[in-house]
Amino acid sequence: MSESDGSGTPKPVLSPSQDTRHDDPLLRLEHVSKSFPVQSSKLFRRGHEFVHAVDDVSLEVRPGETLGLVGETGCGKSTLARCIARLYDLSGGSITFDGKDISHLSRRGMRPLRSEIQMIFQDPYGSLNPRRRVGSIIGDPFAIHGIDSRTERKKKVQDLMERVGLNPEHYNRFPADFSGGQRQRIGTARALALRPRMVICDEPVSALDVSVQAQIINMLKDLQDDFGLTYIFISHDLSVVRHVSDRIAVMYLGHIVEVAPSAELFEKTRHPYTRALLSALPVADPDAADSRERILLVGEIPSPTNPPSGCRFHTRCPKARPDCVRTDPVLQRVLDDGAEHQTACLHPLAIDEDMSLSRPQIEDTEIDTASIPGQETNTGGSQ
Amino acid sequence: MSLDPTGMTSAAEAVDGSGQRAATPDGKAIEGRSPWALGWQRLRRDRVAMISLVIIGLIVLMAIFAPLASTLTGHEPNEQYRQIGLSPDGLPLGPTSQFWFGTDDLGRDILVRIAFGARVSLLVGVVSTGIAVAIGVVVGLVAGFFGGIVDTVLARFVDVALTVPFLLVAIALVSITGPSLTITILVIGFFSWASVARIVRGQVLSLREREFVEAARSLGASDPRIMFVDILPNVLAPVIVYTTLLIPVVIVVQAALAYLGLGLPPPTADWGGMISDGQKYYTTAWWFIIFPGSALLLTTLAFNLFGDGVRDAFDPRADQLLK
Repeated sequence: MSESDGSGTPKPVLSPSQDTRHDDPLLRLEHVSKSFPVQSSKLFRRGHEFVHAVDDVSLEVRPGETLGLVGETGCGKSTLARCIARLYDLSGGSITFDGKDISHLSRRGMRPLRSEIQMIFQDPYGSLNPRRRVGSIIGDPFAIHGIDSRTERKKKVQDLMERVGLNPEHYNRFPADFSGGQRQRIGTARALALRPRMVICDEPVSALDVSVQAQIINMLKDLQDDFGLTYIFISHDLSVVRHVSDRIAVMYLGHIVEVAPSAELFEKTRHPYTRALLSALPVADPDAADSRERILLVGEIPSPTNPPSGCRFHTRCPKARPDCVRTDPVLQRVLDDGAEHQTACLHPLAIDEDMSLSRPQIEDTEIDTASIPGQETNTGGSQ
Repeated sequence: MSLDPTGMTSAAEAVDGSGQRAATPDGKAIEGRSPWALGWQRLRRDRVAMISLVIIGLIVLMAIFAPLASTLTGHEPNEQYRQIGLSPDGLPLGPTSQFWFGTDDLGRDILVRIAFGARVSLLVGVVSTGIAVAIGVVVGLVAGFFGGIVDTVLARFVDVALTVPFLLVAIALVSITGPSLTITILVIGFFSWASVARIVRGQVLSLREREFVEAARSLGASDPRIMFVDILPNVLAPVIVYTTLLIPVVIVVQAALAYLGLGLPPPTADWGGMISDGQKYYTTAWWFIIFPGSALLLTTLAFNLFGDGVRDAFDPRADQLLK
């Protein structure tokens, strides 16, 4: 890990290695929930239905590390990211950044923090204003925070462009003149302009061509070393997340179901859902691909408007048992795992367990049961 | 009427980079041309639109240099040439070498009056449209951006503005306050903004969900900054198209008000009033109604055809086809 880049204010650079394990986390989420009201029909919009996009998520992110966040589309990854960046107000829980509670800061109160937490967005086409020049897009953070004069800004912007591998002479071009990968570099330059400490990468490569994905990921890793960044890296692509992350959190229907150091998550998978996700990873070797365990999940991801009772995965879990329908498992250490490895499952997998043989042992009628009345939920708290 | 191709200048100053893009045949590199510059380029290839633009330019020149028409012909717009401008029976004269477009019932030079009338039509057309667009853009931006209660309230205002019978209110207002240029401009302006607001609101509704708005927000941009720096440039294209198409409508409305006797107080020349006067003589003095009518027709036609061209050149859907 290298020193700070020299320009701008030096930030403490911390390596994600063992010795910082017990440092205070840079970011701490406690029981974070976010629900959106649903407007079922215009006439009767008073219906109190909510989409529970993020439900009771507790996480810690340490300085200098990369936390991977994976899950299917619609599991709440992006909502969680936007909650952390405070683009959304929380429905419940709290977010602490660098020891400061930011969960209820107003927009004005968030302003100084904007330079500390930045986002890189998924869509390289949608995240850049098509009517503005690249130089003005990357310089936007300076303009918004009133930093530097115009000429200084231009120099800084061109420095940034060089850092992310863009030709600084393209300062006056428009986003339409760039390819997807180059646009993602533009978005990255904009995110890094204010020298943030934490960058939330919301599926930064999933819209890109595979060959370009690698370039962007390597660039992000280099920048992490250069600037001492902490990443939250969101993706539905486990192979990408595995490559970049120190730790990985797996999300399902708004819950974190398993969190572990990267290697351990792959070697000692505990949650049936994680196992199913891993089994869907493409394998380059065709022989290995034929012989490996494949778990095909049945059914669709349930609606987050009316999530299943108990363990949210029980409707699709091959290992579901009657108690899964009743009890919502807590994210905790299971079996003989270390403190780093936490799983929310009542029947975690043993290391060599062949899950493809498991069949759910619950009545069909129980599977679609709506949430039990009086069940604890963490929504609707502070809003 | 200047549709400034913003970005043409800055496109030229952009330096050539790594040669990733081919150069045009004339050797000028294709560099960072703004969507405006691209639209302008498309517009320039549209022959009908360019001819219309030339006609609009001529009409504007005519309005600006109207006093020159007066000097050249030696006829004042409101001067009644009863001796030379009327037949011995006191009837208007047809086109002659002295009165190119003939004279009206009071012996005034129709050509000179048309030139001065252009001032009224263009002034009302441009200023009323300007008022309408300014109100419409702000209302549409605010309604679309903030949504919720603000949107609901503003949408009701739009509905009211669209349902009020414009002509009746205009007639009532003018008859109360008396006809004047200011009241005409204000009345037309305040009754034309609603459809602009609707267009803008619709666009803003979809734009505010785009990621670049979220990106601006995550950088700490304020609401006004997001509205005017990030969103406004993206709604400008349909607004410009609508503006060029609104001008001829406003000109016709002004002429209609004048025709109904609610134009400018006499003797000021305006086209609608001239048409109104001329129709009394259409059997005997065709030039009296034909020339002001043609001027009105030519002006609105030119604006409409130009507006069509602008729409073709700047329509976002056309944009997408080219991608």
